[in-house]
Amino acid sequence: MTSRHATSLGSLAPLALAVAGWWLASWRIFVVPSPPSTLAALARDLGDAQYIQHLIATAQGAAAAFAISVFVGVLLGLLLGLVEPVRDALQPLLVALNGVPKIVFYPILLLLFGMALGSKVAMGAIFGTFPVMLNLSAGLSDLPAIYKRLGRSLQASPWQMFRHIYMPAALRPLLTGLRLAFSLSVVGVVLSEMLATRLGLGRVIESAYSLGRYAEMSATIVLLLAASLAGSLALWYVERRAAS
Amino acid sequence: MRRGRPSKPPARGPLPDPNGPGAESQDSASSSRQVTRERRPRLAGSEAAPIVWTAVVVVGLTGLWYALSAAHAVRPTILPAPGDVGATLATELGKPSFWADLTRTLEELVLAFAGGVCLGTLAGWAFWRRPVLGRAFEPYLAAFYAVPLVVFYPISIVVIGINQWPIVLLAGIMAAIPMALNTWRGLERVRPVYLLLGASLQATRRQLAARLLLPAAAPLIFAGLKLGAVYALIGAIAMEFLTASAGLGYQIRYQYEYFDERRMYAYILVVLLFSVLLTGSLELTERRVIGRG
Repeated sequence: MTSRHATSLGSLAPLALAVAGWWLASWRIFVVPSPPSTLAALARDLGDAQYIQHLIATAQGAAAAFAISVFVGVLLGLLLGLVEPVRDALQPLLVALNGVPKIVFYPILLLLFGMALGSKVAMGAIFGTFPVMLNLSAGLSDLPAIYKRLGRSLQASPWQMFRHIYMPAALRPLLTGLRLAFSLSVVGVVLSEMLATRLGLGRVIESAYSLGRYAEMSATIVLLLAASLAGSLALWYVERRAAS
Repeated sequence: MRRGRPSKPPARGPLPDPNGPGAESQDSASSSRQVTRERRPRLAGSEAAPIVWTAVVVVGLTGLWYALSAAHAVRPTILPAPGDVGATLATELGKPSFWADLTRTLEELVLAFAGGVCLGTLAGWAFWRRPVLGRAFEPYLAAFYAVPLVVFYPISIVVIGINQWPIVLLAGIMAAIPMALNTWRGLERVRPVYLLLGASLQATRRQLAARLLLPAAAPLIFAGLKLGAVYALIGAIAMEFLTASAGLGYQIRYQYEYFDERRMYAYILVVLLFSVLLTGSLELTERRVIGRG
């Protein structure tokens, strides 16, 4: 912790290197927009009312997807982590399902929920539910048996067991799950927007790509990267504070 | 043998490393490892029980699918009957185009995984050897999940072209990141006394790597391999789905656009089976390798 400032300064080096590489690439490869032209396009976009509409659509979709994934993920995670028969029956299947590229379910979601907000929120929610659910469940079920015995020997009530034994153990993995769920909700929503929707930043990237307006495409990409990085780092900060 | 074990603290929470970005490896795929690790000593005799339960659930879900379509509860354009999907799948399996798409996806996956593992292992080793490098890159590795790498796909298509290479490149990076993190964390957990032992026995650099570092870091390295393979698969299929010229993900998209629900479901089933087989075989390999120590 003493070298905190040195560390954050050192961390700027790879970023500077990446920007320099980008700039160099934009000289050598004519289709790559340069960093200044990207920033100019970004400034233009942010002044445009229609672009703000796209931005709001994505933000709403991601927020809804994140809220659903937290709610469903915590519910299922508690069920899996605390009820052993449920865990035995479902955990292996859910772990296997987690390794499946979930984007393949997108056409089914389109058939079920239509092209509007519903399908992209559903996709983001499916992306985000898994880390919350599986991390919480692992946190609860990996609790060393001696803690449970301690609770029983102190004749803790079920609520006391949950409050003082299970919850502290599960907090940190739950927070990790929430952080992953945040960025995965954004990814799910943006991916869906790239596939089929009228409003949203994913749509902006897709149409800028097909129109060959690469400065606008990279402006939106930079905006998305910065936004999800900021959110993720904020959650990471909360997570570290909670752990110490 | 107990080479990897002594470095493991006995009573710790589910995280491999509570404070570092090693916690990144604690996502759901590695949590399966933790679950099995806990279960092994306790339920050594009844290991089969969860498998039986899983089979029951799978059979139940298939039965539900049959019942739903037999009762005409859902329109066949949303969920075609399982028999129809099965028949379509059987005819698809006989076509050379199916095998071409499967080979394409497999090729992307293998190239991305191999490249990502090499790059990630080297990077993890470098971060361990040169802590300055490690500290500089740490925030970026930690923010890996925050960065939707897929958004770089359109750019790389523009630069490279629509073929398998942009997919191999990005899926390779997706595989390299957990690999680098876990190799680094694994090497960091090697006890200094082992290194002293190696030095006092005048081990060569190669002996040190093969006999000491690799076995000691093996549990985390293997978790990294598993995550890397899963991320490479997820990335490759997602990118094929967005835009590609071939591959299993491309086929699902294509069949959807042509309103051919039966074929679409057949290819979705193929991807499901493919990824379950991949995860399962990695899990089994891990148990054999780490279990033997």
